[in-house]
Amino acid sequence: VPGAGAALRPCSSRVAQDGINQPLIDRIIRVDHAGEYGANRIYAGQMAVLGRSSVGPVIQQMWNQEKNHLKKFNELMVAYRVRPTVLLPFWNVAGFVLGAGSALLGKKGAMACTVAVEESISEHYNNQIRTLIEEDPEKYKELLQVIKQFRDEEQEHHDIGLEHDAEATPAYSVLKTAIQLGCKAAIFLSERI
Amino acid sequence: KMAAAGGLRRAGWRLWRARRAVVRCQQYPPLRALQGSAALRAASDEHKKEPWASSSQQHFESPSPGHQPEEKPQGPHPSYTGQGGQQSEDYESEEQLQHRILTAALEFVPEHGWTAEAIAEGAKTLGLSVAAAGLFHSDGSELILHFVSDCNTKLSELLKKEQKLVQLGEAEKKPIDEFLRDAVEARLRMLIPYIEKWPQALSVLLLPRNIPSSLSLLTSMIDDIWHYAGDQSTDFNWYTRRAVLTAIYNTTELVMMQDSSPGFEDTWRFLENRVADAMAMSNTATQVQSTGEAVVQGLMGAAVTVSNAGTCRAVR
Repeated sequence: VPGAGAALRPCSSRVAQDGINQPLIDRIIRVDHAGEYGANRIYAGQMAVLGRSSVGPVIQQMWNQEKNHLKKFNELMVAYRVRPTVLLPFWNVAGFVLGAGSALLGKKGAMACTVAVEESISEHYNNQIRTLIEEDPEKYKELLQVIKQFRDEEQEHHDIGLEHDAEATPAYSVLKTAIQLGCKAAIFLSERI
Repeated sequence: KMAAAGGLRRAGWRLWRARRAVVRCQQYPPLRALQGSAALRAASDEHKKEPWASSSQQHFESPSPGHQPEEKPQGPHPSYTGQGGQQSEDYESEEQLQHRILTAALEFVPEHGWTAEAIAEGAKTLGLSVAAAGLFHSDGSELILHFVSDCNTKLSELLKKEQKLVQLGEAEKKPIDEFLRDAVEARLRMLIPYIEKWPQALSVLLLPRNIPSSLSLLTSMIDDIWHYAGDQSTDFNWYTRRAVLTAIYNTTELVMMQDSSPGFEDTWRFLENRVADAMAMSNTATQVQSTGEAVVQGLMGAAVTVSNAGTCRAVR
């Protein structure tokens, strides 16, 4: 809320669309877009190593769903005129390296990575759903629907990972904590930069 | 006559209250405020006798953002209203009053530059005291930022109108380089009436205090142009395109300052060349990328062949 008597503060000449909280929507779409982009790259990395193994089809199927998610966020990004994060080239490489690296630890390693990432993402989506509902569930109905659906699908991926013996990975808890810390940092940065 | 006097006194009061609010937030010495408010009330009494200053539009070819001082300024302003919002129907917020003063002041910029004098003259045409100029910084920052914001809004509206024509099928969709060229030219042409004093404005916009605002105005204008040009990139291209267009805009603006050719034709030719350069650069980048991909595929094929040949030899 601008303070009383503040001097003229001309900033953007863009008019707010129907009174939506543009800065909030900006952040949400930017970070979600970055997240789906990173998830895509992680699965790409895993497929590069384990594509021809027995878990190949499972990973491929999860990857296809992530591709759909990314497509949806690309559309939302254009519709709301949101700026993508500058760190996209970095997430491109980091995601692929994480996916390939965890896959080199074996099938269980790849599944452990999936579990860790999907758990982070589900929690993150839940936070966003809470925020949007607090703001105005009616105004953001479409966005809420999209995020809820994606959260459910990420939760499925998490469960698939567990089914495939993710927890049997050597040093599972260390690996999981490290990956989740990385995810938290990525979310923090992508919201802002 | 009585209504006019009453209106003026009300305006004077509003100005005085606005001034008091500003005093609370900015470091204006309190003494000046008291003197200012006394001067305001005295002056507004004087002014009601003076004939309204004729808007000297005959002297300047400036289109002067198309406003009469009475009209409410168009364009977005923050949804902020002054203290005690709900009052008589013609109560305006402090923000709106400041907008009106600055809009009126633009007429006097070609003569006085981006200074407090221009603002004072503008305030006079609205029937306010010249002390109203004290609401603003003495270097004319707010006046310049107001002008830039105004121009950006006009550009947006122009581009939106053109887009509508294309959607209705009444106009051809322009190729990207032509679109960018026309948009930048349209925006730069808005500077022409003020071109003599524009270098001064540019230096004020670069003051550290003003950089956040001026940068924000510049980036949103460039983003607008790309949006209407049909840019839908969601990757790093988003940044590359905006950076390139910003460079084109800034360099063309500087060239325009030095240009003395008739109708600024040198500037428009410079602009055309820069846009063409940018298009060529993007084509080259695409070519480099596809060449690179072809090379990588060739190498992979060669590696597979060599490894197959090796295993064959090993098996034999």
